[in-house]
Amino acid sequence: MTELTRIDLGLRRRSLIGYTLGMAAYTFVIVALYPTFKGDTGLDQFTEGNSTVAALFGASGSLTTSSGWLNANLYANFVPLVVLLLAIGYGASCLAGQNEDGTLGGMTTLPLSRRRIVAQKLVALCLTTVPVAVVTAIFVAVGRGFELSVDSAHLSGITIGVILLGVDFGAFAMLIGAVTGSRSVALGVASSVAAASYLISSLAPAVHWINPARYASLFFYAVGDGQLVDGLSASAVAVLIAVAVVLGVATVVAFERLDVR
Amino acid sequence: MTIVEVDGLTRRFGSRRGVTDVSFVIAAGEVFGFLGPNGAGKSTTIRLLLGLYRADSGRMQVFGLDPVADGVEIHRRVGYLPGELALYPRLTGQRHLDCVARIRGLTDFTYRDELVERFGAELDSPVHTLSKGNRQKIGLVLAFMHKPELLVLDEPTAGLDPLLQEEFIKLVRETAADGRTVFLSSHELDEVQRLVDRLAIIKDGRMIVTDTIEHLRRKAPRTVELHFDHPVDDTRFDGLDGVRVLDSTPDRITLALTAPIGPLLRVAADLEPVDMTARAADLDELFLDYYRKDRESKVSDVD
Repeated sequence: MTELTRIDLGLRRRSLIGYTLGMAAYTFVIVALYPTFKGDTGLDQFTEGNSTVAALFGASGSLTTSSGWLNANLYANFVPLVVLLLAIGYGASCLAGQNEDGTLGGMTTLPLSRRRIVAQKLVALCLTTVPVAVVTAIFVAVGRGFELSVDSAHLSGITIGVILLGVDFGAFAMLIGAVTGSRSVALGVASSVAAASYLISSLAPAVHWINPARYASLFFYAVGDGQLVDGLSASAVAVLIAVAVVLGVATVVAFERLDVR
Repeated sequence: MTIVEVDGLTRRFGSRRGVTDVSFVIAAGEVFGFLGPNGAGKSTTIRLLLGLYRADSGRMQVFGLDPVADGVEIHRRVGYLPGELALYPRLTGQRHLDCVARIRGLTDFTYRDELVERFGAELDSPVHTLSKGNRQKIGLVLAFMHKPELLVLDEPTAGLDPLLQEEFIKLVRETAADGRTVFLSSHELDEVQRLVDRLAIIKDGRMIVTDTIEHLRRKAPRTVELHFDHPVDDTRFDGLDGVRVLDSTPDRITLALTAPIGPLLRVAADLEPVDMTARAADLDELFLDYYRKDRESKVSDVD
């Protein structure tokens, strides 16, 4: 691991561990509660008739199936939210934030090209998104002991989708930070776009005029297209990776022009 | 051999901040002082030289290389201490030194350890628990530890106690004796006078003067103090070339002198002083004179 990656991850170690432990506990509770709700047909009335209220919370289809239960309680909302909190937070702080507090200047005057600095930060961003997504998947897999049946390949697929979603929005926050030099602007813009992306993907099944816009939502490619049932498609992976690459390249270009204090 | 060459460098941040048409040259092995009040444009010039900022116009080269295009090569050969040293608050000094050593590919830690010992740098505590002076010691070790060909030091003694300031002055002299080059930015006149061979003065983003210390010292005003046992009229000195009244009380007149002393002595003799003292050239006064002149010229422009 490179030096800047190691430093940035070390500085975020506590929050990473905290979020991961919290998510592990939450996932365990969700998994352990499943047998209680599995036979509750009243629960499905919540999503009947493509309820827009249910859709707002990322719930659609049956909630009593394993995939429906996991989707409504984890993958349509909570897991991406936590991963995005970490990723956007890091993306906004690793260039713009560190430039505001002055530490980036010290690193930029070492024999490291700006391209290499961005590359090392992107590696740290990727690794930031992994623990929460992977630990959640591990606890979901434990759910087999609680009558949950989830295909391992599909579970791996949605986990990769969540990680790539985090990388995309984290890289977007990095880009905005490199363009504006402002951590708060990067946080605000990236969070707003993520919220809009979430709304489009979750409301698409219930609101017909939003439906075509789902292709513009990264949530759709990562978690909003029945990935727990059908798996993560290769085309969705390609879109998510392509977005990350484009944002990474754009960040290098913007960072090359940023005034570093 | 020229290490730094700057010609017509301009970078503006709005209408009031930045630097305009800055030009100077630094030769190999020279200790070059960059003097100016806070906000004069010293740090902006340094950031431009290190490729942290891009210039609006002008030309600059460090080791004959372009600071933006060849930043990595320049940074390999430069040690930089920023004016506002920012370290990672939760990391220890040791972690900072190890990180920078790895990035620089430093394998021989003898000189680094010697510097740590010399400045008494505290390396085991997180940086946020350290005083400004102790953080500055870490910054000095980071700048010097790889024995760079060019040291760029922005307000290097800020926060250091007098003993460590002396140690720093010794270190800079050793560095220059070793044939390496030092670019020293400061607003501490005394520090600059003691260390540099040549200096530039910058104010409001523009260079006021570039000269050797020796030449400036020759031009610097001597201070003459005349004591009287009766009230005298200090306007008697007004018409004299190179004479300026600095202070006047009923029994004492202090004058700054930049011309031959004869005419002053003739006027003074008529006033029958009881005593006279003269002090050697005072660079502080010269520098303040430059600042004042600049301000006065601005006022007259407005008028």
